[in-house]
Amino acid sequence: MNSLYKRLAIPYQVWLVLLVFLPIMAILLIAISNLTTANFNLSDISFQLSHWNDLVENQSLVDGEYFNSYLTAFKNSFIYASITTLVSFIFGYFLAYQIKKSRIKNKFIILTIIILPMWSNLILRSEALRSVMLDNNIFKSIFGFDILPFSVGTPAAVLFGLIFTYMPFMILPVYTALEKIEVNLEEASLDLGLTPFKTFWKVVFPLSFKGVVSGSIMVFLPTFAGFAIPKILSNGNIVLIGNIIETKFTYNIYNVGSMLALLILILILGSILLLTRFDKEGETLL
Amino acid sequence: MTDRYSDYPVATLKEYGYRDYSKLKPVTRILKQVLSFVIFFGLYLSIIIIAIQSLNSSSVMSSFESISLKWYPNILQEDDLMTAIGATMIVSLIATALATILGTFFAIGLYAMSKKKRQQWMLLNNVPILNADIVTGFSLMLMFILVNTFIKTVFTSLPQAWSIFGLPTLVLAHLFFAIPFVILNVMPKLKETDPNLMDAALDLGVKPLKAIVKVLIPAIKAGVFAGMLLAFTMSIDDFVISFFNTGETFGMSFDNLSVWIYGVIGRRDLSPSVYAFSTLLTIFTLVALIGYELSKNRKGRVKIKK
Amino acid sequence: MKKLLLAVTLMMIAISAVSCSSGPTLRLLNWGEYLNDDVITRFEEEYGITIKQTIAASNELFYSKIISNTTAYDLVIPSDYMVEKMVEEELLLPLDYNQIPNRALVTYMDGVVEIYNQMTTTTLARTGHTVDYSEYAVPYFWGTYGIIYNNRVDGLEEALNQYGWEVFFNSTDYFPNASRAMYDVPQDAYATAMIYLGHSPNEYSATFLSDAQTVLEGANFSQWGDDQLKKDVEAGNLDMAFVYTGDFLDRLYIQLDEERTIEEITADFNIYIPDTTIVFIDNMVIPYTATNLDAAHKFINFLLDPEIMALNAESVGYAVPTNEAYDVIVSHIDDTDSFYHNWAYANLTYYNKNAEGTYYPLTSLPSDFVDDITSMIDVVKTSN
Repeated sequence: MNSLYKRLAIPYQVWLVLLVFLPIMAILLIAISNLTTANFNLSDISFQLSHWNDLVENQSLVDGEYFNSYLTAFKNSFIYASITTLVSFIFGYFLAYQIKKSRIKNKFIILTIIILPMWSNLILRSEALRSVMLDNNIFKSIFGFDILPFSVGTPAAVLFGLIFTYMPFMILPVYTALEKIEVNLEEASLDLGLTPFKTFWKVVFPLSFKGVVSGSIMVFLPTFAGFAIPKILSNGNIVLIGNIIETKFTYNIYNVGSMLALLILILILGSILLLTRFDKEGETLL
Repeated sequence: MTDRYSDYPVATLKEYGYRDYSKLKPVTRILKQVLSFVIFFGLYLSIIIIAIQSLNSSSVMSSFESISLKWYPNILQEDDLMTAIGATMIVSLIATALATILGTFFAIGLYAMSKKKRQQWMLLNNVPILNADIVTGFSLMLMFILVNTFIKTVFTSLPQAWSIFGLPTLVLAHLFFAIPFVILNVMPKLKETDPNLMDAALDLGVKPLKAIVKVLIPAIKAGVFAGMLLAFTMSIDDFVISFFNTGETFGMSFDNLSVWIYGVIGRRDLSPSVYAFSTLLTIFTLVALIGYELSKNRKGRVKIKK
Repeated sequence: MKKLLLAVTLMMIAISAVSCSSGPTLRLLNWGEYLNDDVITRFEEEYGITIKQTIAASNELFYSKIISNTTAYDLVIPSDYMVEKMVEEELLLPLDYNQIPNRALVTYMDGVVEIYNQMTTTTLARTGHTVDYSEYAVPYFWGTYGIIYNNRVDGLEEALNQYGWEVFFNSTDYFPNASRAMYDVPQDAYATAMIYLGHSPNEYSATFLSDAQTVLEGANFSQWGDDQLKKDVEAGNLDMAFVYTGDFLDRLYIQLDEERTIEEITADFNIYIPDTTIVFIDNMVIPYTATNLDAAHKFINFLLDPEIMALNAESVGYAVPTNEAYDVIVSHIDDTDSFYHNWAYANLTYYNKNAEGTYYPLTSLPSDFVDDITSMIDVVKTSN
């Protein structure tokens, strides 16, 4: 390849450095400032660290127990993101595998069918799911029974929404990885006497693991930091860290919001490093 | 026969460790089909409900009254909704087009680098994809505010109403997360191409840019299209990043559909026409897709005849 | 690829062509669906000024849009406490009443005057300055908050009328099985708890904060939401929710459109407005970024016309601020057209200007206290 073409990437290199590092620096600076208004007048902003204490202190007496809402929210985020990732992996892998074995070979078609629901607004979709989880709902009024067995406000409701919203991000990388496995390998394994089940575990799955790691990260991160789905499907009762950040930004308490965002950013950069151990160029990311 | 050999220990297939699963096969096949169907149903459930709501004659969403198509023509009556749809389409189409073109060229540039360097840049390329929307949206807004202030201090003749917030900021913000998706899809295809292909073209005296357009791009077309589709999806679905970076340009509010919906439900009710529009968009895409697949199959058949 | 480029270029040309064709404009920053289309048409016809509306979902967003100066708006419609904050930070221009002749022809309702007085009082207590808010603001709509309830629950209506807030907050003694919901705005939740405790909702201290927390925890809310609350109560999926009275009227009007009678509807769900509750007022103000002051004043003047203000209220479920517009609305009580009759009836019943009560507008709290309130609400939410 002509090294002349390297120059094509220069604008993008500048763009990436500017738009990745500058905003992170801005978030960092605000996180250690006293900025609690949308007034970004530089002369009014000064250094402040006191709000960082809330991360460890912020303990309120609830029924005689000490309690920290930030840490609880982080814990919630972790639990919900983990379960969502695990279930998305089981279902998503299964579906990707079935698609691979089916006769549909046009990746463009598969891609479109998997991501088409995303063309409708996320709030509309979540509200729609919420509406059929209520006691009296449109589905019940037509068919006489409930389509979903759990009601709004329960962890199951939130998990259902998260899983089926983010599963496309699991299916696509896994499918990409599966697609690259040569059929000969599977046939050879079967010919050598391995059962179909063993062939899958010893040959197919390890080769698709790259896709599983990418998919897991693509599902875990937005679930961990997101706020719309838990807010709508939990009736506002399950608070993830994204919800707290959203509230702080909504009420212009930028320093606390940035502080929490910074912690998420560390998690994200960690994930990217993890990703590169399995997939050096993020090829299977989608 | 049986008497004669009955004394010999005969190993059954079972004793060889072979189990006959063939009887189970139809059962597992049905199970697999059912499970696939259930997963697809889960993925499309929200869309199905939106479609049902769009057909409800009553705007009370908890019960279905009778089937009515009135919300569909009503889309055209809702001026604000139409503006939002227009803004969404303008922003998403411009961002997708630019992201596809730029992303393809950037990917070629990155591909021309040494492996190690390329991997480092691809690492950075993942940041916009994986970063939390709220962090991206807020931090880009901060930067654009600075840029806006800077431009206005330098060009004092600009009218007070002038601002980069609106179409420019939205397109830039959407490019920020859309280009990486294009690059991610184009890069694997670039690796699949024969490296000699481009060298041969250049040796034959084709100009470098022309070589890309005429030789390389046709070879990576599938990746470019997949990237374009993903870029468009991310752009049309985006709420949080647009929310922070929206504004007015040419006297037109560029709030996209997501931002508009969020704003409307703040104090008033959403018209069911929004459901109608979502349903139309989904059906239109599905029909186009099926049509495309059918026409391709027909072409294929003609080829076989030849 | 070339076609794509061509399409983009054509689109850009089309957009700029559209933008060049327009004459004078009024850039209005407003809440969603908060201005009747008929009013827009009439204003544009009368003055030849095009209204460009941008919508935002919260007062904080109004504030950030103005302070970051991302777009120069000519007119904004923020609520009470945000007007206070904007005046305090000198973001608003004083109105020129010479350009608003209609102001002299109308009188503000007593409740509205009272809200403006309270705003002045709380501002004086907080900053030591006396501000006459009518110098900067003309009321647009106002309204109380109340408890929307599921009237299918036996005895709930009677209990609310008799015991008021107690029924809503004391979930151990009153209707322990009923589901309750709070508006998902931290300051609103804090304010209601303060009213229940018998304090002014605008006072704040660490003690008040922890008392409010105990009250909110005791209510055992099953839901924190905004627009869904009214629909959930309407559908019978929720029993009580603290909402804008206008939220209730929105649903009432929608059901009236579906040919149900007021009696049928209120048998399903209704709103209880406590004697002491919070109230909001949205105001037309001119931000310092305004470029078309003339259009902004014309719009304010136009809206003060009782007929226009009433017309605007036809599509919005909130209360008009002037006695004259109120009279226009309630004069329809004997109208044979059911829409106009019901509209007048609803205003007489739910926004009656002679209703006795103590209504508190919320004041602009210092940001570190807002931070504390949001954290407190997060604790209440995460701890159950």
